[in-house]
Amino acid sequence: MNKDQRLNRKLLFLFVFIVFQMSIAHVEAQEMIEPPFSATQYKFKNGLHVILSEEPSLPLVSVVVAYNVGSINEEPGKTGLAHLLEYLMFQGSENVRRMQHISIINRVGGEFNSTTTGDKTIFYQRVPSNQLVQVLWLESDRMKSLQINETNVEQTKQIILEEISLRKTDNPYLESFWRFDRLLYSDFAFGHPVIGSSDDVKNLTVRDVKNFYSTYYVPNNAVIAIVGNFDREKTLDDIRKYFESIPQGKDIPPAPMPTVPEKKSTVDSIVCPSAPSPGFHLGFRLAPPSSEAFYALAVVEYILLGGKSSRLYKRLIRRERLALDLRGEIEKKGDLARFKTFILNNNQFMVQRSKRAIFSEIHKLKTSFISEEELRKAKNMLRKDYINQYASSLQRALFLAETFLSRGVLLNPSEELKKYLAVTPNDIVGVTARYFDIDSVILDVKTK
Amino acid sequence: MKTRSCTKTMAHFLLASLIILASPLFSQERFRRTPPVPEPLSRLMLPEVQSTSLYNGLTIWVIQENKVPLVSIRVIVYAGESASPDSLPGLATLAANTLSRGTSDLSSAQIEEIIESVGGSLSTSIQCDHALFSLTFLEEYLDQALSLLSSMLIEPAFLKREIDSTRTLMYYDLVEKSQTADFLAKRQMHRLLFDNHTYAKSTYNEDVLKYLTQRDLVQFFLNMYRPNNAHIVLTGNIDLQTAYAKVGRFFGRWQRSETETASLIPPEPMTKTRVCFIDLPEATDATITLGNVIIPPTDPDIFPLIVMNQVLGGTPNSRLFMNLRESKGYAYNVFSNIEFYKNCSVFFVQAKVKPEVVESSIQEILNEIRLLTRTKIPSPEIEQAKSYLIGNFPLQIETVDDLTLRVAQHKAFDLGDEHWKNYYENIMLITSDNVLETAREISLKTPAVVVVGDSSIILNQFGRFIKEVDIFNKKGIFLGTYKFD
Repeated sequence: MNKDQRLNRKLLFLFVFIVFQMSIAHVEAQEMIEPPFSATQYKFKNGLHVILSEEPSLPLVSVVVAYNVGSINEEPGKTGLAHLLEYLMFQGSENVRRMQHISIINRVGGEFNSTTTGDKTIFYQRVPSNQLVQVLWLESDRMKSLQINETNVEQTKQIILEEISLRKTDNPYLESFWRFDRLLYSDFAFGHPVIGSSDDVKNLTVRDVKNFYSTYYVPNNAVIAIVGNFDREKTLDDIRKYFESIPQGKDIPPAPMPTVPEKKSTVDSIVCPSAPSPGFHLGFRLAPPSSEAFYALAVVEYILLGGKSSRLYKRLIRRERLALDLRGEIEKKGDLARFKTFILNNNQFMVQRSKRAIFSEIHKLKTSFISEEELRKAKNMLRKDYINQYASSLQRALFLAETFLSRGVLLNPSEELKKYLAVTPNDIVGVTARYFDIDSVILDVKTK
Repeated sequence: MKTRSCTKTMAHFLLASLIILASPLFSQERFRRTPPVPEPLSRLMLPEVQSTSLYNGLTIWVIQENKVPLVSIRVIVYAGESASPDSLPGLATLAANTLSRGTSDLSSAQIEEIIESVGGSLSTSIQCDHALFSLTFLEEYLDQALSLLSSMLIEPAFLKREIDSTRTLMYYDLVEKSQTADFLAKRQMHRLLFDNHTYAKSTYNEDVLKYLTQRDLVQFFLNMYRPNNAHIVLTGNIDLQTAYAKVGRFFGRWQRSETETASLIPPEPMTKTRVCFIDLPEATDATITLGNVIIPPTDPDIFPLIVMNQVLGGTPNSRLFMNLRESKGYAYNVFSNIEFYKNCSVFFVQAKVKPEVVESSIQEILNEIRLLTRTKIPSPEIEQAKSYLIGNFPLQIETVDDLTLRVAQHKAFDLGDEHWKNYYENIMLITSDNVLETAREISLKTPAVVVVGDSSIILNQFGRFIKEVDIFNKKGIFLGTYKFD
């Protein structure tokens, strides 16, 4: 063999070696969790995170693609961008026609949906397991090459403006919810509505949308969670094929930092002319969802608002018949948590009595220990809701993607659940005294 | 020289190949251009459904599943609205809804307390043929859950104040529903289809509730709520033997008695199209519901009809949606469906359309239906519909709740293996010929048609295709017939 032949062979070997390496470039598992189900997290070279969790019992698979972006990432004057992008993601990309995504999922007997929250935008589908590769093709195309042009942006803006107007007609209290959020969150980023204001949506430009898309809808700001019946190695190969060549985006701008509001009570009022009954919103600013105190606060939510045997329902609706309707929850946005309630009454007298009743129930929680029996009930309700978060392939995929985006790591559900179940009567008194303090926020809703 | 130049050429070629192969554009474009071809769907392994019965006649169905630490229970009692006395429609619903409002030793509040203490949620739904009670809870509380369910079903208190409170809730629920066009249209269609049949009792309005007394409820309960008239379905980490022992412990005291069963004669399909209108002034859209009685779900010919329904209006890719919404722009949405009853089914189309094109929309829907009875559905369309049905089936039985409900409905209609173990095969074997043959035999072309919307825009349109329209109010009271010259 002469020198040239050796060179030829070397080059050929190099060629074969590189092609081989390109095809088997392996992604190392970063983290794993075990019971109640196993899941493994991978990080691809363009920054994309992938979580795989097998559940082979039925021939179906759920795919969640979640982007770490929501309304908190919008600037003043540009509200509604994240929500508009969610709609645009169904309007076609380089190789997928407008509505083809929906059509393909429908044809194969699957289901799909999407949602935008304060801090996340999530696309999900549940399909027969042989359609997994189709979903990866569809999702990768809109991550790589979404079509954003004058026509589809204008059409989508019109749809959203109609939706805003319809929501206002359907819900005479809508403006009060928006005002209450501005009071409760105090920072613009956290306090404005996800759907955006009509004026801002009207003024959004193609350039705004393209900038937002290229900043946030990139592999290094996304996580894909796949749960169901699939072959792990083949799926990793398919993800690599469809996603790994999507270029990594620039560094993601840091999420806005909330300011710490002054510790004083806030009271305001709003007139909702077409509302049938008066009422009020009442809220408290709580410890961050990632804090240790949050576990006890989550149990407090069930004690006060969990079902018909909860303290507020029994007192306001059943026993004293002060309110026509009562609803509430702990809302999480980024690493902020807020306790929110909305109460409807027959008249202003009942509004005042309802407020006193709520404060009296909170006072009781601060000053006397909850019985073991009542605490067990609250924890059992929490436990069932917690388990339901991973009771189906889709719920599990959503749980994995959302908790990963919120915490940056895979959470072990069993370990997390134990922390909620370890909450003591003493913890309840402690967190109620600390977070249900003088800095309540009240918005009275008047009918005229 | 020659060898050297060959080597250089080779080197250039290899380098160029490497650059091209490494270029994302080259490698991406080809496979990104078209959807990947899916592999065949792996076989569905259905969970085993085991059964036994108590000596008092209560049938127990068990699906052992341990994916999550929850147990889901459904109790079916053949005490649906068709079992209400002719003079007392609504009685079956009021009775079923009052069962959770107190027992001989538990108050309504105590029942709520127990349900929430076991991490549970309880719901009740009443159909024409049966009442369905659903309870899902944390698995370690099986005894407490069965104890509560058995007390509700065996020793309800039927206290007057709880009956009144349940009646009030039902009243306002019906008043609220009567503001929605979908509900009004469907209820009116059922009234037309079930005219003079025992199923018509399920179409009552809020006014009838005031006639129901405590005595009626107790009598109805004693007649109908019997173990030999019921099934219980349990899904969770529980085997048949344990289920038998536990259910026996709590439901063993339920006393057997022969029940009065409703007539099994199915309603006759309509043989002449009848059009009805309900005025909803200033409604921004018009709601069209049209349908007819077809064969019962136990008839093997139901499978071609299930496939036919999928082709016609099962999804946004089906014919009706593509025609009325995508092509003509008449409709906001339009779908078809098949409702199962014990001794018949109802095939119906429901559409929300622009008010000014009601007549054209009805014509288009009828044309699409006629087409199914005249022309064979092309093979790719049939295969598409079958692949949807096959692919979608596992999605309907994934959670313990979904699975329990599916099995409960299966047992309630006595569907047998044809709709469970052999469902895939029954769908897969359907051909265009089967669909055409079956579609021709049923009365799809003469449906009951109900339109709800603003009369000032809609009413005159009917004159273009029919001589008279029957007008009803929101409560379903007949107001008169509008005749066109």
